[in-house]
Amino acid sequence: MTAARSTKRRVAVCIALIVAVLSVFVVRLVDIQVVRASELTTAALNKRATAITTYAARGTIVDNHGVVLAGSVLRYDITVSPRTLSKLKTFVRGQGSQKALVTLEQAATELAAVTGQTPHDVLTAFTAKPNSDFEYVAKSVSTDQMRLIRNLHIPAIYPRSHPTRIYPDGAVAGNLLGFVGTDGPQNGLEFTENKCLASVDGSSTYERGANGVQLPGSAVTTRAAVAGGTVMTTIDHDLQWSVGQMIAEQALAIGAESATASVTEVKTGKVLALADWPAVDPNNVDATPAKSLGSLAFTAAYEPGSTFKPMTAAILLDKKAATPLSQVVVPYRWVSKEGSVVRDATPHPVQQLTLAGVLQQSSNVGISQLAINVPSKERYTYMRAFGVGEPTAIDFQGESAGLLAKTWDDQTKYDVSFGQGVSVTAAQMAGIYQTIGNGGLKLPLTLVTGCKHSDGTITDVPTTVGKQIVSESAAKTVVQMMEGVVTGGGLSSLLTIPGYRVAAKSGTAEVALNGVYTADRIVSLAGLAPAEDPQYAVIVTFTKPSTIKTSAAAAPTFKKIMMQVLKTYRVTPSTTPSPNLPTTW
Amino acid sequence: MSAVGAVSTPSTWSVPEVQHPHIEIVSTRAQRRARPRLMSAVITVAALFAILAAQLLLSIASSEGAYEIASLQTKHVELSRDQQILSEQLQVLTAPQHLASEAQSMGMVAASSAAHLRLADGVILGEPVPAGGVAPLRVMADGSPLIPDALLSTIALVGSTVPAAVTAAPLAPVIAGSATAATAEIPAVAVPAAMAPAGPVTAIPSPQTH
Repeated sequence: MTAARSTKRRVAVCIALIVAVLSVFVVRLVDIQVVRASELTTAALNKRATAITTYAARGTIVDNHGVVLAGSVLRYDITVSPRTLSKLKTFVRGQGSQKALVTLEQAATELAAVTGQTPHDVLTAFTAKPNSDFEYVAKSVSTDQMRLIRNLHIPAIYPRSHPTRIYPDGAVAGNLLGFVGTDGPQNGLEFTENKCLASVDGSSTYERGANGVQLPGSAVTTRAAVAGGTVMTTIDHDLQWSVGQMIAEQALAIGAESATASVTEVKTGKVLALADWPAVDPNNVDATPAKSLGSLAFTAAYEPGSTFKPMTAAILLDKKAATPLSQVVVPYRWVSKEGSVVRDATPHPVQQLTLAGVLQQSSNVGISQLAINVPSKERYTYMRAFGVGEPTAIDFQGESAGLLAKTWDDQTKYDVSFGQGVSVTAAQMAGIYQTIGNGGLKLPLTLVTGCKHSDGTITDVPTTVGKQIVSESAAKTVVQMMEGVVTGGGLSSLLTIPGYRVAAKSGTAEVALNGVYTADRIVSLAGLAPAEDPQYAVIVTFTKPSTIKTSAAAAPTFKKIMMQVLKTYRVTPSTTPSPNLPTTW
Repeated sequence: MSAVGAVSTPSTWSVPEVQHPHIEIVSTRAQRRARPRLMSAVITVAALFAILAAQLLLSIASSEGAYEIASLQTKHVELSRDQQILSEQLQVLTAPQHLASEAQSMGMVAASSAAHLRLADGVILGEPVPAGGVAPLRVMADGSPLIPDALLSTIALVGSTVPAAVTAAPLAPVIAGSATAATAEIPAVAVPAAMAPAGPVTAIPSPQTH
């Protein structure tokens, strides 16, 4: 009897216990599965899931043969978690017989040897803030360095990749390209073409196991990365370098403050080379003073001087107000009927010059006397049509429009005919000579031919519609007259290229400071070749040379650049002689 | 309890064996059809196991695939890094200032005239002048190019390591042959031995001045 009762009691206790335990489990289950379900699921996913940014490269800027002028590469920041690392005095590296105990000092020395820092700097980064989870050890190391560091197997060291801009050609076209700073594109094409170049980084989330391997079928791409487009320029990087090197050599030789040179294809308006000195290396922007960072060819307006005369001559011929044989009596100093005084650059006895002679001798007096045969208002309209007073079609960052007064007083109406009282940029001069070389048909100057997207489509193609400014015969006659500068002018020996007919015009302009002309000069030479059918316009400008202050300083460089152009583009030598128009009467 | 009584009232133990016919409940045809058959059960269970096994194998295979994908992705990343390093090097090496100093260090000079050999008929256009008399490229005081490139600072010129025999070989000046009608048939007669074409150059007609 008692045995049966005790059995019953035992069973009851057991059941009670089981029920109690089970109910605890049930409560827990409901809590996990129902009450905190969503919270726990999220936490679990966060443990497994990793969000990664897929970097899309910023687009490249290429030259006219597709050579990369500006491109993107990956660089790595080496980061450390001092919280983890500084707790370890030593760590074990390698396995089996290779096993070795490494101290933090040793690790710091090894890492410093790769990055070129001092071991002390690296050790400071490791230990200075022991509670931090993220500190930089080194910034922007190359892939090779990153791999070496990775092979050191130092714990809690993480490389973080980020895209960086490189300019493989350095300062070749550096003034045009601009650069990308820490705050994004800063200058030049990098800035103005940013819409094309900019990329959109993508992001994707996936779940991974403890060893970092992606769980099958868990990839969720939330946003696809879009690479930037390619900016196609008209620059020829080899020619650009040659031109840059040549003006740099001469600028140093004559002590010039700055220099620019451009090569323009007259039949297309494409700028093949446009170099500035001082040259900017976008890889190392800090090495260049801030005022030289842009392209002076676009931003600096100057009084061009005599390189303006061919345009005045073209206007006169187009209005039939003069012919190459128009006769002028040219004294050194001439007083107009309004009492304005015009002087030539150097004293000379009274000369009897034709218009061709006026260009050859670069006579201010001669061109002034002929220029007023066309009313000021019409000349103003012509000059505006040539592009004076407005930025070129390139619309470079910070491009100057130059300065051309709308109404001219009795002095200015003479002065503008020989390039004083008016200011232009070197790029505008390139436009003027392109027009003269192309039979009076002005084409929009082009530096960027379009934006090529990753799918192959090309957008932002600039217009190529030209405008006839002066008649073809007027333009061709001006080129013939300019040949006289090379065949018979004072700079003939410096300008003659054996085998080729070259048309050129020199210019020496005084630099005005606070409204007063100073002893400083801007010397330039502009020209076209081959003269029988102009293909290329070359313009060379040196600002404030200290040793030679005449256009004789620019002539040798003009010749070298023109010869390089003729060689590069395999222009065959001229087969007809220069016309040698009469210069005196 | 007597024997007669025992006889007249048959006791249970003496009940004679009665041969009953064998009777059992036979299910109707419908019932039989409704009853699960052994074969189906076996097939179902087997199929279930097969499905479970396949699922297991598939998930093993796919997780193995995940490892393979992960390792291939790692390889891909490393290879694209290699590719990037090499194309970056190539881009920097083709920088014109580098090529120019390299060429100069190998003893090359810029041509001082623009002359052309027209391959169609061998005519020389322009006035060829032996190269030379051209000043070497001017460089900065520290030897860096006038048109700098910070990326080139780590790249050494290989020109100086070229064997002397290569750089020192005298370049024969180009001397034009006697002036005759420009035709491709003219054999290479008036050409000095120094510039006699070698190898594939024979395909080009000999130069003739015009």
